[in-house]
Amino acid sequence: MKKPKPAARTKPLQKVASQPGKVIIRRMPTGVSGLDEILGGGIPEFSFNIIAGTPGCGKTTLAHQILFANATVKKPALYFTVLGEPAMKMLRYQQQYSFFDASKLNSAIRFINLAEVVMDQDLDAVFKEIARQVAKVGPSFVVVDSFRTVVRKAMTTGSELEMQTFVQRLAQFLTGWEATSFLVGEYVIDEVRDNPVFTVADGLIWLSQVAERNSVVRKLQVMKLRGQASVPGLHTIRISNHGLQAFSRTLGLGVKKALPGRRRRLSVGIPELDKMLGGGVLEGDSLLIAGPSGTGKSALATQFIAEGLRNGEPGIIAVFEERPNGYTERAAAFGLDLKTPQEKGNLEILYLRPLDLSVDETMQELLEAITRVGAKRLAIDSLVGFEMALAPDFRADFRESLYRMIGALTGAGITILSTVEVEDTFTAMPFSHYAISFLTDDIIRLRYVEIDGQLRKVLVVVKMRGGNHSKDIREYVITDKGVVVIHPRQTDFARLTTGLPEHVGREAEPAPEPKATK
Amino acid sequence: MSRVTPQIRELAERLIAFEAKDNEAARRMHPAVFHVCERLRPHLATLMGQGGFRAVLARALAVASAEIPWLAALQVKDDGSLEGWEKPEAPVKPKDLAESGAVLVAHLLGLLVAFIGDNLTLHLVRDVWPKLSLENLNSTKGDHP
Repeated sequence: MKKPKPAARTKPLQKVASQPGKVIIRRMPTGVSGLDEILGGGIPEFSFNIIAGTPGCGKTTLAHQILFANATVKKPALYFTVLGEPAMKMLRYQQQYSFFDASKLNSAIRFINLAEVVMDQDLDAVFKEIARQVAKVGPSFVVVDSFRTVVRKAMTTGSELEMQTFVQRLAQFLTGWEATSFLVGEYVIDEVRDNPVFTVADGLIWLSQVAERNSVVRKLQVMKLRGQASVPGLHTIRISNHGLQAFSRTLGLGVKKALPGRRRRLSVGIPELDKMLGGGVLEGDSLLIAGPSGTGKSALATQFIAEGLRNGEPGIIAVFEERPNGYTERAAAFGLDLKTPQEKGNLEILYLRPLDLSVDETMQELLEAITRVGAKRLAIDSLVGFEMALAPDFRADFRESLYRMIGALTGAGITILSTVEVEDTFTAMPFSHYAISFLTDDIIRLRYVEIDGQLRKVLVVVKMRGGNHSKDIREYVITDKGVVVIHPRQTDFARLTTGLPEHVGREAEPAPEPKATK
Repeated sequence: MSRVTPQIRELAERLIAFEAKDNEAARRMHPAVFHVCERLRPHLATLMGQGGFRAVLARALAVASAEIPWLAALQVKDDGSLEGWEKPEAPVKPKDLAESGAVLVAHLLGLLVAFIGDNLTLHLVRDVWPKLSLENLNSTKGDHP
């Protein structure tokens, strides 16, 4: 036999020295959008997991989604149903989801009803039946649904020790047979402590639904996952025709950061306003347009996006109050064509108005749209509508979530214009009732003023983080060109911010728009 | 309202014919419909438990009995098998037995279609009778399967 070369003999030893025998745990995808990120990469192979929560929060759907995403003829799955939902009913309802693949039934995924064994016999018989089926099929995935009913039966007839022994045996057996397993069960949060099932489990995914007023919000928490760093906290989930979708509470924090460098100034589409902004809004800034109803906030947002499109910068408009068609038609009335860029894929108008949204879901939608069109500009019209679209449960965290969302998007180099409606009090000039100025780099305030028997409009740049700006209060009108800041620069009035200014100029100034006559 | 469409009926007839041909010796003891139900029983019991299968078969039998009165003499045992073939009130001709069997099987399949849909029902039938031809089942009028 040929003697191996010295180098070949020593190579494995070097490898051992540099990698001290650490096992590499493969992670399987869950098939649930957003969940792999929350789990820290997916479900660890051969792990013994629990999917727990209150009824109706999506436990069975999650288990099915994982199986349909992973099970194949070569790596089959066994799904044991107990006293909860019989397999027949599961098949009836689960086939409504798009992930359901009928061709996998009885080949890649086999359903086995354990109800009679659980009802008529003891835990030992249940274990033996599971073991018999596992040995027969050699599955890569095993689900017991609902495991809670097994436990309940055991606790009424046997001791806690017997129960613990059963769980321990089952976990050892399934892992020994190289199966990644899931016990699905209805539990309340108080049961987690001192429960042998939870102690033995490698992973614990907790699903819940919280009702507040008329809204219901579903949430997911990875309470335990051995061997990998999952994202802590409560994450929103939604169940649609595609099954579960998860939205990590840290969604967006991983958005690719823009390269540092000198930032450009972007035109907002209104030359005089650009001058007031010191040459335009800085790329990657968050600009807030605050003003009462009818002052042209949406018009300004439209002009901002249209100007970007003119300059080859794709955009997204997120609308919460107005329908996309109405938005497009109103832009056309200003001579701004939003239809063609939508057709060309340079613009998307997202209409987000279900009344139980979470900020994370909205952010997911925005991020996907931004990626799709390669957006550089984003208009959120309006923050009030955005807040109204959220489930009440999420409104308490609106500012925090908005902060995170805007920070992530602007960090990626997206320039954001948000509108917010504020009431004119005629005694003060609030920027918004949210106290959200900390969210924005720049603020433009629009307001009504009464001048010479007319309700006219003025605007002022209140804040610009990135440089100097005009301090002038300028009058503007909304014409068939949109918002137009008018000349001359008005200086003949004082106390404009109160809404009831005093004319301090010597000569009466002609009205920018004709006054009503008899 | 009957759930039995022409396609389901045709499928039931094919199953009866298949079992009659495939199982001639056993048919002397029991009619083909018995063997169709027996072949389905373990597969469906795996999915819905014996109790579930018993309930569905009993329902199919009740509906079928309204069309074929002598079927009321049959009973579903605890294990989900059919009994009572031996003692119908009046003798049943072999042709009528096949016809009655097709009615019962058609109602059983009709219930399955109502619960789990056409695709899964056909999938199940294919699993149980891999050699059965399901071709041209869709050629007749109707929505199912």
